Amino acid sequence: MISYMGNRARGYNWIEYLLFAIITMVIFVLCIFAGSVRVPAGEILSSIRDFISGQTENTNTAMQIMKIRLPRVINVALTGAALALCGAAMQGLLRNPLADGSTLGVSSGASLGAIISIAFGIAIPGLSGGSTVLMSILFAFASLVLILSLAYRLDYTLATNTIILIGVVFTMFAHSLISMIVVFADEKVKSIMFWTMGSLAGSNFKNAATLTVALVICGGLLLLHADELNAFAIGEENARHIGVNVRRVKLIILIAVSVLIGVSVSIGGTIGFAGLVIPHIARMIVGPNHRRLLPASLFAGASFLMLADLIGRIILRPLELPIGVVTSFTGSIAFVYIFYNTRRVK
Amino acid sequence: MNLKKKAKSLALTLVITLLIAIAVGCGGLSTESQSAQAITLIDMKDREFQLDKTADKIVALTAADCEIIYALGAGDTLIGRGEYCNYPEEVLDVPSVSSGSETNIEQVIALEPEVIIMGTMDQTTEQIEDFENAGITVIVTDAQSIEDTYTAIELIGAVTGHQKQAADLTAKMQSDFAEITRLAQEKKAEDSKSIYFEVSPLEFGLWAAGSNTFMDEITAMLGLENTFADVKMWGEVSQEQVIERNPDYIVTITMYFGEGPLPVDEIMSRPGWSEISAVKNKLVFNADSDQLSRPGPRLADGAKALYDFVYGQ
Amino acid sequence: MLNVDSLTVSYGPLKILDNVSFELQKQQWLMIVGPNGAGKSTVIKAVTQCVPYSGKVTLDGKDIAHIRPHALARSVAVLSQNYHIGYAFTVEEIVSLGRYAWKKGLFAKDGEDIDDRIDHALEITGLKKIRHQSVLTLSGGELQRTFLAQIFAQDPRLLILDEPTNHLDLVYQKQTFELISEWLKQPGRAVISVVHDLSLAKAYGSHALLLNEGHHIASGNSEQVLANDNLSKVYNMDVQLWMQQLLANWQN
Repeated sequence: MISYMGNRARGYNWIEYLLFAIITMVIFVLCIFAGSVRVPAGEILSSIRDFISGQTENTNTAMQIMKIRLPRVINVALTGAALALCGAAMQGLLRNPLADGSTLGVSSGASLGAIISIAFGIAIPGLSGGSTVLMSILFAFASLVLILSLAYRLDYTLATNTIILIGVVFTMFAHSLISMIVVFADEKVKSIMFWTMGSLAGSNFKNAATLTVALVICGGLLLLHADELNAFAIGEENARHIGVNVRRVKLIILIAVSVLIGVSVSIGGTIGFAGLVIPHIARMIVGPNHRRLLPASLFAGASFLMLADLIGRIILRPLELPIGVVTSFTGSIAFVYIFYNTRRVK
Repeated sequence: MNLKKKAKSLALTLVITLLIAIAVGCGGLSTESQSAQAITLIDMKDREFQLDKTADKIVALTAADCEIIYALGAGDTLIGRGEYCNYPEEVLDVPSVSSGSETNIEQVIALEPEVIIMGTMDQTTEQIEDFENAGITVIVTDAQSIEDTYTAIELIGAVTGHQKQAADLTAKMQSDFAEITRLAQEKKAEDSKSIYFEVSPLEFGLWAAGSNTFMDEITAMLGLENTFADVKMWGEVSQEQVIERNPDYIVTITMYFGEGPLPVDEIMSRPGWSEISAVKNKLVFNADSDQLSRPGPRLADGAKALYDFVYGQ
Repeated sequence: MLNVDSLTVSYGPLKILDNVSFELQKQQWLMIVGPNGAGKSTVIKAVTQCVPYSGKVTLDGKDIAHIRPHALARSVAVLSQNYHIGYAFTVEEIVSLGRYAWKKGLFAKDGEDIDDRIDHALEITGLKKIRHQSVLTLSGGELQRTFLAQIFAQDPRLLILDEPTNHLDLVYQKQTFELISEWLKQPGRAVISVVHDLSLAKAYGSHALLLNEGHHIASGNSEQVLANDNLSKVYNMDVQLWMQQLLANWQN
């Protein structure tokens, strides 16, 4: 770490990114080769070769398994990257190490949107399959607007405490609405309970494409605001004084976060702790500068969730452990460790 | 554990039969005068309870127990039902109460039943105490197997004074199952074929029925192997496992709500599933979830439907 | 340079500042003084657009409320009372952010002159040795100097200080004021600061604004405003006598 010291203030360090990318790729490859069913490496390689050359009509088992495993691992990596990026951005923006998309109520809003879409069969014309995704994003965004306008009403400066408090209240409100829908709706919605626990077991390439688009646009937007996030992380007042357009930047970041969370929740359900813990771990490695923290979180989030999913896929063979269970278990242990360490430093 | 349970239910059956025999033997009377006799019974959680007479004001919380009551011809004794009871259709006219963890004691007391029949799922001992303190006799059913289901039928038969109907119903079910088993033995293929029961679709996480389920028992009757026999009860399984295990038959109990693809079509169109034997041969079936998962008289219907699916009508 | 005209700030029915006007020219150091609750910090919050106000604040004739944040930051920098930083940023990272308002475009590389400015800011504040140290390990004085260095890097024309040395040791107090008066020597610059210590106000300020309970009492030349008559009215005591008594203890 010391060798990077000279570059810390400047941020972007290509060698470091390359290293992160390589680690993430290694984990990706590991997750492709290992799984619930053991497939010989040679068959995996040949089926991947067929995949790339478009010869997917191959009927052997390895090929069939790759059709499931490949999109799943890709979706898991993208979701992990998105959630960790959101967590890092929220923690910087709100100067609160416990902040996360869920603290703000964006996740709950997204869940509410998805459940309303399923329960009442709301389909957006021309987007039959994408209506749940779109409803999640819309609701994540709508909850954001509601939270922000409430916050503005209560507090002109949009102080961070106000937002988190309103976020918590909104989360409770959204959950009560979800419970109400589940109580009043028919058996169909009762199965939603499975879905809210979070699973990427059935995700496909279409989901991966949606996640990629969201990650490129919104993740890119967040990365471009690394300096502003640094300023917010140091202090909102200081950010204002050095010339950050506080309200506009806040809005951009919150919108980017709500889109990313909306898409993630609609595809994988609520996966806890990834957005909270990963940025902490990344911060331990690269420091708090968002120019380095955001890319590090992106890679660490992808790696962490891929490994969590791998554990979920193999530990109880032939059964699956839902990914949310694995992340909450490992995440809460990591969280206690981090919390203990930060306390000790103080 | 399993053996112990079987032994227990066997003992239970014996006790009840004995008690009934004593009751009937002592009185040697018709049903009417029998109602005047006090009955002592033991429910499926080994709780002993007494009834001054056979009950004619009953609240039943589980869908299966409601089905049993109607199948015994005791539907007129039912004055309240759990919210999920939906068969036969007449049951929908009976006032509905919350069940499971949301059981509302006051709601039930307001109906003034003599007896409440409840299951074990999401029900608590505190609820039992509350009901007993309100002077309502609590009977717990807990059928985990077809054998247990007979016990439940006989128990409810004794409570409602429909012992004969209960015996008839049990005998009918037994003979139905025996018939299915006999026919399947004749028709079954040389090599063993496997069947995969999907109790929750991919969208909500793939759940399979394993051993110790009604579906597993019926699988044995049909001369088939359960693809996930190594899973205890129910479990979330990996898609990869389904593909590798390559079941010959797939049965889903997903309900169709009139939108999106039919459950069978959804399974057939899953990426990577096209080479599974059942999908290739279009041997995917959407069964009635209630028939196959409720410990009630319609288990035999469910078994028959599966027989028809596997061996043709 | 800065013109404040009938500035009024209210929280609900309560008027924190009532119709306060003053002006500031280049090379002036304006000390805002007054007892607790006089509204000193509120003047600064209004000028830096942190609270809603009525009245008009202009910078070189332009309404400050209509200057875009980054443009304003190029002209005006603020040093606050105290900072709580939760994350382990380095001294240099915080100082570098002073250049935020001067960044060219999204993809423009940070130029060499930026490095020079940051180096210079670190140099004059004596932070060069600890530039890579985490701010969580700094003393209160070092932290204050870090943000002072950020302001020097920001290179404004107007420097606003809100009780800059409130919680600092004497040595840091002296350092800070010396650094600022050195900074002020460059042409085109001006300073406004809120101070509690009337001796400091007298020693460093060229001009002063005396406030009491939100009202403008006097403004202008430091010597006139901080005359004993004015101060005694506001503080309800003979300030000069008290100061002299205090000082007497230091004579051998």
